[in-house]
Amino acid sequence: MEENKSFDWSTDLKEVPVREWEDRFTWVEEPYVSPDGETIASIVNVEEGVFTVCENGETWDKEYDKAWNLRPLPDGKFAACVSSDEEWTLSISGNEWENWFDFIWNLQVNQDGSSLSLAVQKDMEYGMAVNDKPWDQMYENINEMVLSDTGSSAAVVQVTSMVQADIEVFKNGIFSCAVNGKAIDKKFLNIWDISFDSAGKNVAYGVRLDRTKYSIAVNDTAWDKQFQSVWKPLFISGDESVIAPVKEGGKWMLYKDGQPFWNKRYNQIWHLVVSQKTGNIAAIASDKFGKWTIAENDVTWNMAADQMISDLVYSKDGSTLVAVLKDKGFWTLAVNQKKWNLGADKVFTPCVSSDGNIVSVVIERQGQYFLVVNNIVIPNGYDFMATPVISPDNTKILQKAVKDGVYQRLILSMDKIL
Amino acid sequence: MSNDMEIKDKPSVVKEKNTDEAVEAGLAKLTPERIKNTINQVLQKETGPRFKAYVETCMHCGLCAEACLYFLSNDRDPSYSPAGKVKQTIWEMLDKKGEVSIEFLRRAVHIAHTECNVCKRCSMYCPFGIDIAYLMLMVRRICHKLEITPLYIQDTVNSHSATMNQMWVKEDEWIDTLQWQEEDAREEFEDLRIPLDKEGADIMYSVIAPEPKFQAGLLYQAATIMHAAGISWTMPSSPGWDNSNMAMFTGDNEISGRIARAFYETAARLKVKKIVMGECGHAFRSTYDVGNRWIGWAMPPFEVVHALEFYHELLTSGRITIAEKFKKTVTLHDPCNVSRGRGLHDMAREVTNMLCESFIDMTPNREHNFCCGAGGGVINCGPPYKGERMINNKFKAEQLKATGAEVLIAPCHNCHSGLEDIVHHYDLNMEVKFLGDIIYETMEKKIYKPGD
Ligand code: SF4
Ligand code: SF4
Ligand code: SF4
Repeated sequence: MEENKSFDWSTDLKEVPVREWEDRFTWVEEPYVSPDGETIASIVNVEEGVFTVCENGETWDKEYDKAWNLRPLPDGKFAACVSSDEEWTLSISGNEWENWFDFIWNLQVNQDGSSLSLAVQKDMEYGMAVNDKPWDQMYENINEMVLSDTGSSAAVVQVTSMVQADIEVFKNGIFSCAVNGKAIDKKFLNIWDISFDSAGKNVAYGVRLDRTKYSIAVNDTAWDKQFQSVWKPLFISGDESVIAPVKEGGKWMLYKDGQPFWNKRYNQIWHLVVSQKTGNIAAIASDKFGKWTIAENDVTWNMAADQMISDLVYSKDGSTLVAVLKDKGFWTLAVNQKKWNLGADKVFTPCVSSDGNIVSVVIERQGQYFLVVNNIVIPNGYDFMATPVISPDNTKILQKAVKDGVYQRLILSMDKIL
Repeated sequence: MSNDMEIKDKPSVVKEKNTDEAVEAGLAKLTPERIKNTINQVLQKETGPRFKAYVETCMHCGLCAEACLYFLSNDRDPSYSPAGKVKQTIWEMLDKKGEVSIEFLRRAVHIAHTECNVCKRCSMYCPFGIDIAYLMLMVRRICHKLEITPLYIQDTVNSHSATMNQMWVKEDEWIDTLQWQEEDAREEFEDLRIPLDKEGADIMYSVIAPEPKFQAGLLYQAATIMHAAGISWTMPSSPGWDNSNMAMFTGDNEISGRIARAFYETAARLKVKKIVMGECGHAFRSTYDVGNRWIGWAMPPFEVVHALEFYHELLTSGRITIAEKFKKTVTLHDPCNVSRGRGLHDMAREVTNMLCESFIDMTPNREHNFCCGAGGGVINCGPPYKGERMINNKFKAEQLKATGAEVLIAPCHNCHSGLEDIVHHYDLNMEVKFLGDIIYETMEKKIYKPGD
């Protein structure tokens, strides 16, 4: 990430005492740390029914009846869903949106932090709001909300009313995909897994046409071909094409624009990722029942996990592909086909350098958090750790950790670790 | 069972078999061509050697009949015996190579969906271990593809498909309910939380949709137990929180798998160590055995424990202490899916004995227990079939009555609802409770501190 350049990479250690917060407040909720590591924040309870957020020891100016869903934003501020007098809005470091709702949830933030979206409910009507602007049109129900990197929003909305247990009405299709509040004029039995193209203009999603027929739709048009099931589609090749895992004849395959794309038939493939740089496509896959691997351009890795592969990420240059997996009861990573030996109870979100040379991740073992860099576990255990950041020149790593009631923002030198 | 235990003044066998508008509307649309193709597709393409072996091995010996609640409740009418149900469905479908009539299908839906709890009790009595439940689920798969699934259970599957929960609970309703229960529970523990989306918590607690919809008090109780026990836990604010799976019982395997995926990926997103589920039997079967396997997870990717295992752990480790044992006499219904399916029956007795002063077992018990009569999606077929269900559960009513207990513990939602129906219908004068109800009533309301 380019913005990492502006981070303070020269101060070795900054500390914020956090234990004292527990004396100041009735309770302190789980901490969140800003991307630059400068700020640690928690929702705190001041007294019965009074909540605010404490950032580095300073509380927000405002207090609320309720607060939840605290999240750090790319610019170092924090956002939380807050409520006063039974109405809800988003508060960004104490500054509320102008619009208040009967309920809000599902806070999403795009990559550069320029757009924040929520699912909102007002007078039992549902929609989304992006940067304090609610959709013009509201609906009976909403699911599957997404926010594009360009700030477009989309969700599955219910466009036809249905009384309880009316399966005939359901059968005719009561759902549409709404983009920026406007429902596409096409109803389906089910809609799942909306993907935006990179321009945030077009959408692709999985649909069910009747009880047993599934397909992929792009905007208002479903592929001609129908399948036994489908998973989330993805735009590729500069938004020209849409790919999706589909099930046919009891096996899963990758299709592109309604035609077979990869040749191999899998027991399972899902969770597609594409490298913007190289155009390589990867997916979590299973060749043999109960064995999980990665398929990259239709070639499976020489690696298997017997429990789960939960996440998959390319480095910016596309040279490195990192999978988070669980094998023989423990979590670990696999980097370019090579399984690490972390034996962790939990593995958090990995951080991959732009050139793919450094992979760092926080793990938990027996209740203690550890930082791992290129398969080396740094022996100091902590009570809590947030996702680390690798410096743009790969020489340093920013560790964000809490130990013995003190938050430490620590710059570690890579040559001392590796 | 002696005569004085018998339940009087209730119809003794099912005389009228009901149907519903969804079944009838579906049947009206069928063509002989579609019936034949669908049956043959499922029986030829979707079954394996196991199916063939079952169909070919059955000796028609009838030993399985004694096992089945339906047979015993209906004056030992052979049409209710496990093998009788197969004879009236799968065998004829095979025999006629799929060329069966509408009348036949009307009966087949009825048998597969309302006269079998897919409880697998009969498999234990069959010398060859033939899995009748599996064969009945195959019939349901055919009904699903022919779109003749009973109305109310189909509606729950529709809900699953659209919302990933069974009862059309809207996303805000779910979160709002948790926050409301959390606030109420602060009357007892001022700093109690139901931590939402707490990444890295040790435990994800998951429930079935009837809890937020109708029984929010159970969420309150669970939160109290978690808080007092000092557990690092979380609940998801997103879909994936409902661990139930009615699609597994209608043969909609595709939706069933989608539900299982949403469930486990939610646990993965929250980076928890294990999943604790509320007191539900079929949800356990779905996440532990069926849904996960359809997706390709040979074993569940996370450790999943049923509430009763979790309670056992809390009580034996001293994280929860009992102030005063429950006084009324209790009996325990072993839910098939956690007892026969998972072997938790001894643990269930240990928990009951740790909580209650006076426990009377029912006979038969443990893995030999009879199904509550509601399970396997039978109760979910709804009001049109309730009258028949009550008659079909007569034998279960007798079994319950024979215990003479004041309280009936049922650590499974389906069982709980079904047993309540039985208790009312047969005037058994028993209170039906979850284990969680009793823990909440008897526990010391103090927060566990290690070393105490
Ligand atoms: S599975 Fe249970 S309900 Fe079904 S036939 Fe066997 S014993 Fe009877
Ligand atoms: S006991 Fe087994 S072999 Fe005998 S009739 Fe029943 S299913 Fe067939
Ligand atoms: S409802 Fe309960 S007793 Fe009945 S099949 Fe399910 S677990 Fe078994």
